[in-house]
Amino acid sequence: MTVVVAYADTPPGHAAMAAAVAESAREQEAVVLVTAVRGESPPEVADLERAWPEAAGRIEVARGDLGDPSDAVVQVAQRRDARLVVLGLRARTPVGKLVFGSTAQRILLDATCPVLAVKPAPG
Amino acid sequence: MTDAAFSALASLADPSLLLMLAIGVVAGLVIGLIPGLGGTGAVAILLPVTFGMEPEAALAMLIGALAVVHTSDTVAAVLLGAPGSASASVTMLDGYSMARQGQAKRALSLAFLSSMAGGLIGAVGLTLAIPLARPLVLSFGSPELFMLTILGVSLAAVLSRGNVVKGLMAGFLGLLLGLVGTSPTTAEERFSFGSLFLSDGVSLVAVALGIFGLAEIASRVGQRKVTEKPVELTGGWGAGIREWLTHWTQVVRGSLIGIWAGVLPGVGATAGTWLAYGQAVATAKDKRKFGKGDPRGIVGPESANNSVEAGDLIPTFLFGIPGGVPSAMLLGMLLTYGIQPGPAIVTEHLDLMYLIVWAFAIASVAGAFLCFLATGSLARLTRVPFAVLGPGLLVIMLLGAFQEGGQIGDLWVMVLLGVVGFFLKTTGTPRAPFLIGFVLAIPMERYYYLTANLYDGASWMLRPGVLVFAAVLVVPVLWSLVKKLRGTSGQADDGHRDEHDGPEADVDDLEGSLAGTAWSAGLAVLAVLVFAGALWVSGSFSEEARLMPRLVATCGLAAALLLTWQEVKVRRSRTARPVGTAPGTAGEALGTGGSTMVATRVEPVTDKRTHAHAHDLRIAARTFAAMAAFLVLAMVGGYLAATLVFTPAFLLYAARVRPRTAIAYTLVLGAVLLSLPTLLPVDLPLGLLQ
Repeated sequence: MTVVVAYADTPPGHAAMAAAVAESAREQEAVVLVTAVRGESPPEVADLERAWPEAAGRIEVARGDLGDPSDAVVQVAQRRDARLVVLGLRARTPVGKLVFGSTAQRILLDATCPVLAVKPAPG
Repeated sequence: MTDAAFSALASLADPSLLLMLAIGVVAGLVIGLIPGLGGTGAVAILLPVTFGMEPEAALAMLIGALAVVHTSDTVAAVLLGAPGSASASVTMLDGYSMARQGQAKRALSLAFLSSMAGGLIGAVGLTLAIPLARPLVLSFGSPELFMLTILGVSLAAVLSRGNVVKGLMAGFLGLLLGLVGTSPTTAEERFSFGSLFLSDGVSLVAVALGIFGLAEIASRVGQRKVTEKPVELTGGWGAGIREWLTHWTQVVRGSLIGIWAGVLPGVGATAGTWLAYGQAVATAKDKRKFGKGDPRGIVGPESANNSVEAGDLIPTFLFGIPGGVPSAMLLGMLLTYGIQPGPAIVTEHLDLMYLIVWAFAIASVAGAFLCFLATGSLARLTRVPFAVLGPGLLVIMLLGAFQEGGQIGDLWVMVLLGVVGFFLKTTGTPRAPFLIGFVLAIPMERYYYLTANLYDGASWMLRPGVLVFAAVLVVPVLWSLVKKLRGTSGQADDGHRDEHDGPEADVDDLEGSLAGTAWSAGLAVLAVLVFAGALWVSGSFSEEARLMPRLVATCGLAAALLLTWQEVKVRRSRTARPVGTAPGTAGEALGTGGSTMVATRVEPVTDKRTHAHAHDLRIAARTFAAMAAFLVLAMVGGYLAATLVFTPAFLLYAARVRPRTAIAYTLVLGAVLLSLPTLLPVDLPLGLLQ
């Protein structure tokens, strides 16, 4: 089984990564990263293994065939038959919630497997 | 209403109209197969041929071509993985994967049938729009029509892909160019600099063919040749046809999205197709196969790109506001026949409207049928390199621009605008608002004067229609503000789901390749100078004639200054921050080792990019120089002689074809030019020596 992470190089993204590493530790599952930010180049596996040494050897970086980040995450999760999708949520003002749609929201609605949403530690 | 519809159908039974429709369909299919030419190219190439025809025959031919261009452009996308037009790049994602799995026929039959249905549903949409919009259109007075023209240009600028300021600047540049010539209200000459030629205004065909046609030639001549072998045409047609029937909801949804995208000015086939693809993905439960040969990824977009062209026609004919570039040219054609789109066409030329609807529907069906029959043999056309097609297209396009006014000056204007179009394209400035602005400049001024004379003061601004349009005008402004806000605050979230910036979207690598370089900053500065100059020149006009140029120049100046400021800001931030450390937080989180690695990796890439830019620019410069040389030759020795000298030279030195091919090509082209004046009312430019 695999755990898919909607990765972004931000505090929520790192929180999601940490949660995925912890989740996958028991069964030694593969952690598959998908970039959830439009236009950002995917991270290097070597860099990631340095940052999360406990998951070394289990980290993969995958890319979907779809342009929209939320679609790409769901597509990779379906292709890999993932057990879990992990994503990070960031703080939004009420107006921000109203005006902007959310990649996280769409992953929650579209995903066909359980989704774990985590928040970064405050401060 | 039904009477008019059926009498229009009866008039299509006229063999000469049917012949024109058939010629249009065949021409449209061939143009669709050629990579790089889409609906714009089809209308641009056929438009000059129609000069001198009856309006019905001309419309039958142009609509026939426009309806099927997006049917055949799929062939190259599916078999070669190189889209025939920008909008077919969407079909390529799933179509090419499917073809590589040995199911090319399945992919193509899905695409052809969807294209046909898209065209038919588009025609139905056009039909329904006539009775729905008729009372609305008839209630419009000049204030509403004035607001509509403003709306047309500004929506085109805002909705076009890319930077809004760039779109606005392009729109104002187009409006300014449209104002060149005699003022409609005071009959005084504006921006003509004493030249008799410019006092007539700039010809629409020259502008459209220059900005789009010649710019396209220059940017594609240098394109690498297609070396890949096309995928074999395998699989069964029948399987695709049966499968298509199960996806009928996707067809309907895709077509409706296409119509909507067509109605909006500036949202053309490309954006509409991506929207349809995004919709298909978003509503699909199982997303696993998208990008790897999912039939839903073919059906929706293919229906959309045909119905876009029908949707484009709705605002064009009913309101006189072109929904896209091809329809802007159609609008110009109707104006030369003295047919004023807008309220007049609904009352006086209803039969013409229905003729268009029928022509569109018949062409869609015939086009799909022909595609099924001839794909095997026509697929070879997709492998012809663009450099070989270049001189032929150039000769035909220049000849076309000459037909409108019969002046060689138009051709120089066209080449000059070709250079402008090339830089607009490469700096990522949308060109649709430019052309729409150009077409709408004079109607806008005319409606404004009618409004100002018929109503005292600002009372017209309180008319309900005007208020509604003003509200619609504000929405895009708010929308662009929202986009701005999101650009600064949201990195992880992008509220708008569209596939546009997808990794596979940059099929056309030249588009926007110079954005953010010194060239695009230079373009902004040049625009500032043009608008400032126009403002200064307009000071000498009389009170009445001055208003519009002043307004356009002032607003354009503001847009150009804003753009210059943006460019300078971008460049300053880029030079301040060394290349490659852009992912700022990456270093903090992953240790400094990561960021230096990124830095060393990025630099050679930018190096290669600047090298490619220089190469592209050199080829474009050479192509434009060749065009200018051709014109000089034509002025000295006449058009035919110029063609006979220019074509082999270009083919041997630029396209590097075999001498035998070059000679045969030249002879065929020469024969076509010789026989054209006897077949069609076409004049060849005469040289000094003739």
